[in-house]
Amino acid sequence: MELSQVLGTRSLGGNLFITRFRSPNIAFAVLPGQFVMVSFEGVLDPLLPRAFSVCDVSGEDVFLFYAAIGKGTRMMSELRAGDMVTMNGPLGRGFPDVSAGKMVWIVVGGSGMAVVPLLARRLNRRDAKFEIFSGARTESHLVHFDGISTRDATDDGSKGYHGTVVDLIKESFQKDKPDKLFACGPTRMLEAVQSEFGGTVPTYLSVEAPMACGMGFCQGCPIRIAGGEGYYLACKDGPVFRSDEIDFGMGGDSE
Amino acid sequence: MNSDLTVEIGSLHLKNPLMTASGTCGYGDELEDYFPISRLGAIVSKSLTLKPKKGNEPPRITEVSCGMLNSIGLANIGVQRFISDKLPVLKRLGAEVIVNIAAKRADDYVSLAEIVAGLPEVKGLELNLSCPNVKEGGLEFGSDIAALGRITDLVRRVYPEVLIVKLTPNVARIGEFAKAAEGAGANGVTVANTYVGMAVDIYRRTPKIRSITGGFSGPAIKPLTMAKVFEVHNAVKIPVIASGGVFGWQDAVEYLIAGATAVELGTVLFRIPDASTGILDGIQSYMVREGLESLRELIGSLKANLDRMPHK
Ligand SMILES: Cc1cc2nc3c(=O)[nH]c(=O)nc-3n(C[C@H](O)[C@H](O)[C@H](O)COP(=O)(O)OP(=O)(O)OC[C@H]3O[C@@H](n4cnc5c(N)ncnc54)[C@H](O)[C@@H]3O)c2cc1C
Ligand SMILES: Cc1cc2nc3c(=O)[nH]c(=O)nc-3n(C[C@H](O)[C@H](O)[C@H](O)COP(=O)(O)O)c2cc1C
Ligand code: FES
Repeated sequence: MELSQVLGTRSLGGNLFITRFRSPNIAFAVLPGQFVMVSFEGVLDPLLPRAFSVCDVSGEDVFLFYAAIGKGTRMMSELRAGDMVTMNGPLGRGFPDVSAGKMVWIVVGGSGMAVVPLLARRLNRRDAKFEIFSGARTESHLVHFDGISTRDATDDGSKGYHGTVVDLIKESFQKDKPDKLFACGPTRMLEAVQSEFGGTVPTYLSVEAPMACGMGFCQGCPIRIAGGEGYYLACKDGPVFRSDEIDFGMGGDSE
Repeated sequence: MNSDLTVEIGSLHLKNPLMTASGTCGYGDELEDYFPISRLGAIVSKSLTLKPKKGNEPPRITEVSCGMLNSIGLANIGVQRFISDKLPVLKRLGAEVIVNIAAKRADDYVSLAEIVAGLPEVKGLELNLSCPNVKEGGLEFGSDIAALGRITDLVRRVYPEVLIVKLTPNVARIGEFAKAAEGAGANGVTVANTYVGMAVDIYRRTPKIRSITGGFSGPAIKPLTMAKVFEVHNAVKIPVIASGGVFGWQDAVEYLIAGATAVELGTVLFRIPDASTGILDGIQSYMVREGLESLRELIGSLKANLDRMPHK
């Protein structure tokens, strides 16, 4: 938990932003796929902290990449250099480590790109190989970061492969298969990745659920345990799960 | 010089008036990552049931202006696993533990109380007769004065330590419920659990949580619960524990003046897990500034003419 100073915000077009914070403890400790909960000083509305994957780190700084879609994210995009937020983290279980020489395919949809830069850094350090498959509705919804190349898919064919990113991977599977598959994006995309590839390649999914606390305090973020009874907590047991650990269906107490 | 912040609930002596609210800090041990939980007056466990409960289907939570709705459905590991896995940890960390229990049947409240009664690590029992989200939560008992009195009495017979009844605010005259708890031998009442609330997604025209309605908590409910605390304080002699929307030290002091002997921290912990540290410092400085030596001088010290209340 640390008070973090805003250093600046960059607009990436549309409603997408990257904000840089001075947050040395989190920058030092965070692993790819982990997240932070951000709350705004002296503000009771929004009341609860907001969850963000740590996008990247540089020295003592943390970068968050987000879509301004509601009260909290809009407020974040309007913070000025020098403003303070409280950052709780790093929280949760991130992506597993990968050994040298292994190939990982990373599947992202929309703002799921948030997890890629930090992940790519670690994979490079490990001498692992990776490819990023990025899907969106149209070219203008695709997210690109400097120095990170992607194979793109758009629903309308305006850029790259014409179809979903899952179709693109299905096609690529006919020539080649990775040692691991990582996915981050909308739940519908994760479900498709799980059912298409989960049984073929070790697959890891970064899930999203509404979160009040991010620490396992509230039980607000249940994710159904595969084939079994009960729930994991997305914040504490995840947000990254092995594909065969979870189901996307319902399954609470029936009475 | 420091003021005396100790308080008593029945025979239970608390080093300060701050407790955690049930269901808002896991089982309590998770809080230790943020501050030493031995500094709290007491930790109140998540509501425990006889058998483990998975809880309700998602979505379980949503935010509203200055508050939130939850419908967790009492997801918990069950009383036995709490005793074997969590209680030893809480004891080692030096926490004062109050166990909160919930059940669907009067018999089950009694069984739960019997299980907990022999445990030296447990300093008190809080009966959840007020969960708005599941049948097991006791709301049926909690909104029926006779049933509340009967269950409190049955539990009182098997539980010799400090017994607290957590009341629902979703009734017209909460003071009468508090009197029933007092009459049946409760040592204190917690005022109150969450309010029944609802929020709608206007584009999908669906409820924002799956159970349609949920428990409303957070700063938005503080004035509502303040009025209930004052009402109960005027209705009974046993201590009142306030629970509703405390975020800063001022909120805690306000409840103490309105008649609360202790204050539970709930929703605030989701954002500020170590909130108790700042709140304790704030109360302490306030006491010194106001020239108060002991919390006893503050509790229930509201200067008001009750005749001015439109409905008492
Ligand atoms: C572990 C985790 C990591 C995340 N990482 C990122 C990230 O790196 N970048 C990013 O842009 N977003 C991320 N999110 C989503 C982000 O937390 C939400 O977009 C944010 O909470 C919305 O807050 P708001 O106040 O702007 O919107 P609100 O005003 O609260 O809500 C606006 C709309 O978004 C919906 N919504 C609210 N919270 C969520 C949620 N958690 N998931 C899906 N929909 C939601 C609401 O139902 C509503 O329709 C992450 C979520 C989780 C759980
Ligand atoms: C997510 C959540 C879970 C809760 N679970 C329980 C519970 O298991 N048992 C109980 O007696 N009260 C439960 N409550 C109610 C709180 O203990 C507290 O009384 C209420 O939230 C009002 O206080 P607050 O506004 O400070 O949160 C829960 C509240 C929340 C927000
Ligand atoms: S967000 Fe509170 S338990 Fe996961």
